[in-house]
Amino acid sequence: MGKPISDSMKISPFLVLFLITSVQVGVGILSFQSKVVEHASYDAWISVIIAGIGVHIIIWIAFKMLRQDQDIFDIQKELFGKYLGGLFGFIQCLYFLVLSTIALRLYIEIIQVWMFPHISILYLGIFFLILVYYVINGGFRVVVGICFLGTVIPIYLLFTLIFPLEFAHFHNLLPVLNHSVKDLMLSSKEMTLSFLGFSTLFIFFPFIKHPKKAHKWAHFGVLFTIVVYVAISMVAFVFYDEEQIKTVIWPTLGMWKIIEMPFVERFEYIGISSWALVILPNMTLTLWASTRGMKRLFRFNQRKTVIVFLIIVLIANVLINGHERISLLSEYISRVGFYMVYFYIPFLFIVYTIYNKVRKSK
Amino acid sequence: MKLFGKKNKKNKSNSLKQPNNIVELIDMCKTSSDFMHYEHSIKKQTIWLSFYKSLVDTEILHKDILENLQEYKHYSLEELKESIPVEKVLTTKDVEQMQNRMLRGYILLRLDEYDQKGLLINAPLKKTRNVSVPEVEFSVIGPKEAFLESIDTNLNLVRNRLPIPELMVKELKVGKLTKSKVAVLYIDGVANEENVNTVIQRIKEIDIDHLVDSSYITQIISDNPKSPFPQLLDTERPDRASAVLTEGKIVIMAAGSPHALIAPANLTEFFSSFEDYFLNPVIASAFRIIRFFSVVFSILVTPIYVATLTYHYELIPKDLMGTLITSREVVPLPPILEAIFLELTIELLREAGARLPTKVGQTIGIVGGIVIGTASVEAGLTSNVLLIIIALAALASFTTPVYQMGNTIRLIRFPFIFVAYLFGMLGVVLSFCYLIVHLLRLTSLGRPFFEPIYPPRLKDMKDSIIRFPFSRNTQRPVQLQTEQTERYSKRDATKKKDIDE
Repeated sequence: MGKPISDSMKISPFLVLFLITSVQVGVGILSFQSKVVEHASYDAWISVIIAGIGVHIIIWIAFKMLRQDQDIFDIQKELFGKYLGGLFGFIQCLYFLVLSTIALRLYIEIIQVWMFPHISILYLGIFFLILVYYVINGGFRVVVGICFLGTVIPIYLLFTLIFPLEFAHFHNLLPVLNHSVKDLMLSSKEMTLSFLGFSTLFIFFPFIKHPKKAHKWAHFGVLFTIVVYVAISMVAFVFYDEEQIKTVIWPTLGMWKIIEMPFVERFEYIGISSWALVILPNMTLTLWASTRGMKRLFRFNQRKTVIVFLIIVLIANVLINGHERISLLSEYISRVGFYMVYFYIPFLFIVYTIYNKVRKSK
Repeated sequence: MKLFGKKNKKNKSNSLKQPNNIVELIDMCKTSSDFMHYEHSIKKQTIWLSFYKSLVDTEILHKDILENLQEYKHYSLEELKESIPVEKVLTTKDVEQMQNRMLRGYILLRLDEYDQKGLLINAPLKKTRNVSVPEVEFSVIGPKEAFLESIDTNLNLVRNRLPIPELMVKELKVGKLTKSKVAVLYIDGVANEENVNTVIQRIKEIDIDHLVDSSYITQIISDNPKSPFPQLLDTERPDRASAVLTEGKIVIMAAGSPHALIAPANLTEFFSSFEDYFLNPVIASAFRIIRFFSVVFSILVTPIYVATLTYHYELIPKDLMGTLITSREVVPLPPILEAIFLELTIELLREAGARLPTKVGQTIGIVGGIVIGTASVEAGLTSNVLLIIIALAALASFTTPVYQMGNTIRLIRFPFIFVAYLFGMLGVVLSFCYLIVHLLRLTSLGRPFFEPIYPPRLKDMKDSIIRFPFSRNTQRPVQLQTEQTERYSKRDATKKKDIDE
């Protein structure tokens, strides 16, 4: 176990809700509809719920497995020893780093396509990453603060879902449950990229003041995310035709486009801009987790690691170009994340439970 | 290092001459023309008096001191002491004490010119103005008293409102040359001890040669002195000072300053006027919400104008576009220059108005506002729409009840405008993120400054953006971590009688 975290650095249990939600709601929510409909078509909202239940199970595992002041690195070290455990930890750090990179790259791609086709990724990236540095440098308290505000302030965007309902065809959703379980499961697998990132819980766990009380809030956080995702997918399904939605890359943005108010039109500009406030917690929390991991594993100075990692993120963002490559990378990372969350973590849980039982019986 | 003048100059300026004995002391003081040192003969004896005539009230000297000494001859200082009916009289040999006391308006009285021992009599001259109406934090209803430059009067104003023995006043001296009195006020048993100690500790550590106003203290003891946001609230109202003391806050007063400081502060307090407490909670809350939105409006409206007109004119509906086009048709400048030009004009007007005497200042406001505004629109330098927007933004920024915060709000919009020009709407949001993160990082005496918004504390929300009735505000703010959290019993305050009882 590392140095115990002082009480003043810890966060109230209910803030875990915002941590979980803010890291799950990201760029994915602007585009996930077209991917989930591939297998389950308009029954896909059920897949969203199934994927959400999966997340609930993992969260439950997390709170079962971790004890106060303990994170995943402790467990891995205990189980697999310093080197193998360290290697697993290192892979997780890299994974969060890539997750952070891809979040920014996906967002910049949207900006390039919808707002500024000729924007310089370098300058925008620098401007954005200095902001990220400023957040992480303030410590976990500020990271949580930005997660909280990054969830609360953009809630107003949910009201924009009312506008597309004017053109809704509710019979799109009918008949319900006309797809096989396999299709539903395949669709829910597609959902994972959007739900990823909550595994940062395994790293920030020691920062929670009363982990037992936080358990329910973590579940509420996932529940809130599911409700938001289901609502957005429903609205998209009633708004778009089934064939159309498969060809649209960002269905949510398309819906914003039709919003007309007396003083504002083309709402997507405002929506995409406001989305910066959603991406920011996404990036900072994953990057914080990644650098925190490096600190736990190699005792690196976190301030310095953040700078190095931010430079890596910036370079990667400038180098990755073109929609194909970006979506390929995001697909890879979501596959890695899928296996990590749904296979590795339950595996770890089982091994750790057995290990504890054996140790106790001795 | 030489470039910045950081050479070792230690102790050069600090070492003022210290006299070794009384003769040296008198000689040293005599070099200043306002120092009086003479033999005074009264009916039956002669005495030696030494004092600064600029610090001593001669009326006290003549009426209270000299007149009482005339009756009979005194042989010792003790006898003299008994005859003088002044509350602070002390006999001493200590040269340093004599010097310090004489500089505070004491008279040194001795029987002989070369006596080592002397009597120090308190007879300070106090010239202060009378208690007047608060001008910075004016309120239509409610008390009409304001703090003064005299710390004793200020303490009196507060203690009159809080006649309890728990009200503690800790006096400290700050400033090597000014030796200003600084008082830290708190209610013992209510205020968090850690906070009190932090304040006292930080004030003790102040190393400065002069302290003329409490704003010096704000700048020195703030957690982040580089931030444009004031982290200690200043007030000139004794009623506000006593009200926050009961909440468990700490009030700092400095001699010579008509503003007291309140610590720890949080962001929402800077947008609440004390008059809010004199109004019905519904109305007060409505005004607070208006103020809150006006601040957001004031910061964001010009950047949004610049962003929209530079990059996203698609945002504007067709009908509105017509109005904008007719207004901007003849303007040759890009929106950013237009906005900066007008914003600077408003800042100029404000600054000129603030520096000039009141009567001229008003004229400047009218001349500037009407003449320059109309002329620049007619000349085609700016558009009508922007003129309206900027005037509104300026007006909105003046709704902030705390002057220091008003300044901050007006200034932080300039970076917003520049970034809006670079990245459009995205720039506005990103600058807003910078602002939020900055606020999140700020602390006031180590307590979060952005509270109760973050960390979210519903209990403290009851008196932040909206104000709940007194009967619902029964707890002291969580932010202060007070020793007694309950102010009064909630059950009694909210007890309801049954119908027709």
